[in-house]
Amino acid sequence: MNDKRYYTPLGNDGMYVLDTAAWRTHRPVMNKEKCINCGICMGYCPVNSVYCEDKVFKISYDFCKGCGLCAAECPKKAIDMVPEGGK
Amino acid sequence: MSYIDVLKETQNVMTPGSSACQGCGGELILRRVMQIAGNNSVFAVPPGCMAGAGVDGWNFSNGCTAPIHITLLDNTASFMSGVSEIYQRKGRTDVNIVAIAGDGATADCGFQSLSGAAERGAKMLYVCYDNEGYMNTGYQRSSTTSMGSNTSTTPAGAAINGKEQQQKYLPLIMAMHNVKYCATASPSNMADLVAKIQKGLAASKEGFAYLHVFSPCPTGWKFASDQTIQVAKLAVKSNMFPIWEMENGKYKLTANNNPISVAEFVKGIGKFAKLTEEEIAAIQSMADARYATLKKLAAE
Amino acid sequence: MGVIKAMTGNTAAYTGAALCRPDLIAAYPITPQSSVVEGLAGLVYNGKLDSNFVQVESEHSAMSVVQGAAAAGGRVFTATSAQGLALMYEPYFRMSTLRIPMVMAIATREMTSPETIWSGQQDAMSVRDAGWIQMFCESNQEILDMMMQAYMIAEDERVHIPVNVCYDGFYSSHLMEGLDVPTQEEVDEFLPKYDGYAYLDPGHPQALDPLTPGNLMMHYRKEHLDAMERALDVIEEVDAKFAAKFGRSYGGCLEEYRCEDAEVVLVTVGGMSGTGKDAVDAAREKGIKAGLIKLRFVRPFPAKRLAAALEGKKAFAVVDRSVCFGWNQGPMHMETKAAVADVDAKFCHFSAIGGLGGADLSYEHMVQCIDKLEAMKNEPGEKETFWLMAD
Repeated sequence: MNDKRYYTPLGNDGMYVLDTAAWRTHRPVMNKEKCINCGICMGYCPVNSVYCEDKVFKISYDFCKGCGLCAAECPKKAIDMVPEGGK
Repeated sequence: MSYIDVLKETQNVMTPGSSACQGCGGELILRRVMQIAGNNSVFAVPPGCMAGAGVDGWNFSNGCTAPIHITLLDNTASFMSGVSEIYQRKGRTDVNIVAIAGDGATADCGFQSLSGAAERGAKMLYVCYDNEGYMNTGYQRSSTTSMGSNTSTTPAGAAINGKEQQQKYLPLIMAMHNVKYCATASPSNMADLVAKIQKGLAASKEGFAYLHVFSPCPTGWKFASDQTIQVAKLAVKSNMFPIWEMENGKYKLTANNNPISVAEFVKGIGKFAKLTEEEIAAIQSMADARYATLKKLAAE
Repeated sequence: MGVIKAMTGNTAAYTGAALCRPDLIAAYPITPQSSVVEGLAGLVYNGKLDSNFVQVESEHSAMSVVQGAAAAGGRVFTATSAQGLALMYEPYFRMSTLRIPMVMAIATREMTSPETIWSGQQDAMSVRDAGWIQMFCESNQEILDMMMQAYMIAEDERVHIPVNVCYDGFYSSHLMEGLDVPTQEEVDEFLPKYDGYAYLDPGHPQALDPLTPGNLMMHYRKEHLDAMERALDVIEEVDAKFAAKFGRSYGGCLEEYRCEDAEVVLVTVGGMSGTGKDAVDAAREKGIKAGLIKLRFVRPFPAKRLAAALEGKKAFAVVDRSVCFGWNQGPMHMETKAAVADVDAKFCHFSAIGGLGGADLSYEHMVQCIDKLEAMKNEPGEKETFWLMAD
């Protein structure tokens, strides 16, 4: 008789996810020889694209927008912003 | 536990792919607040950049892993005080009640509802990410916009050079509501921000907690996306954004007795490009006077 | 067995609301509603009512606080008048379109300017298209009784629309009548304990009101309008249930008074109806075949019942206590004549709705309307509303 789907607007059909990796013109690349695993890059990443695995900090490129904050704030200058290659 | 450990051990609550701009201070703050509050929370994020970025969901999808509502631009605090009351009534006081709103929804049209909820001691954490303007609609001026800012409604024109008024200093107004906890924080001081989010959440179980966070905006303020933290650092060092907290009526100021000048802060920021020396001097004297006031409040 | 008490309309309103055991009440004082807030505060502060009472700083926040509480699963109540209703318009519209049930009393008052605090129905009438169910009371007994009925209507699965119980400021809100006040036990037997769904709960995380495009908005609005239609039946059912329990029936959506053989009919709304009934009685004594129809619900508008009630009558006048700017008449006259427009239908006509919330309102939609008209042009009367869905 009545379609309750259209009673109250609700978002419960999973997660809204935008492919923000596609925005990137430069990708942050860690130089593990310089990196001291302090985690400051993780603290400052607005997209939560830095993670820690076995006490080592790594960058995920799944959603990284390439803003460059991690590279700018790294106290050891251990992150380089490298241009993304075209297709 | 160090703030790095706290962040390592908490989960991303906000969608991994949001349409916030590159280097967005607001997204950084929102993620930190949400991951520390966790999934056992009810969130409210009113219209603004973060709602536009998708955290409130689109169509039939959610924008985070927790329950969330896009409140009206001007009723975030009152709506959440209703939610809070029912959670108190049900005895579910473990649930965090958290509002995260921009400066327009907080200091301007949302101020009445915020003031009412704060005065009533509604049990919640209210976080304002202050990017000093209506950025989501294209950077119109708000009451927290710094003097001289070149915004879309206060352009640096031939007759009038940007915003004519000094910013409204909301955090102190909120502290004067006798709230349980009131603090300012900057994403540049991440350890301090993380600690204050935790303190705010704890205080929200007993009363109203307010956190005012500086949120540099690369797109609106016109600086490079990798400079967000640098801009925030200079704002703190120049006393343009002093860091302090108030707990149970006691003020604690993070001392910054040898500040850099306001001129050094504004240098690399596009919205301030056309400031005159007189305007810089006026902002400097406002910043000095505000810091002196805070110092007196914090003095025992 | 209830007890007989003398009560003003405002006392009847807060007594009725309190008997419904709201989890939370948020309200702000405004003449002539203030004694509703005061009465509820008195009950809570004296330990006679177990409700969370939130003292807000404005009506905007009153509606916002109850909205948050209702979204968390609470049964909630507020009350207002005139400027307060105007101030709360933003969350008021949202309350109904979120489709979360609640009840709000309106002690109706004229809208400023000229500056006024006195009675009138302009406040409630002006928001009749904001998605709420709205009903108007004639007597203080009706105010008290309608609080219970209003929750039952609002919370019905088929409806899920908040309800306004309106009554005339001062004439009803401040004047005393003798009332039969039911006991708490009787009310509990009539109105089930509220088991409100928590839209915002970490146990089932979801976004309440995600951004929605126009093609879906069309479906939400159509469902809301369909629910208003369903409410017409629910209102009658609830009136019958109430009559079975308490022995008082109000006729559901409208009440007909001495209409059976009437030639001339007054159509009234709210407290004026009693005065109108006296005038009808006097006219009858003079040999005038007069009758009266009291419109109890104006949203949903009981168009079919009203048209049936006016069937065969020779003349009707609608008495409005508010105006319809730009039509040089009262709003209920506008709507009554719309309800009877098809008694001697000359035109074939239908309502077409499209373009809501950014939905595409296209050239094809216009072509479809014309094609429909062309096909039906020789069948006068109103046809079913045509929803110009975008998908």
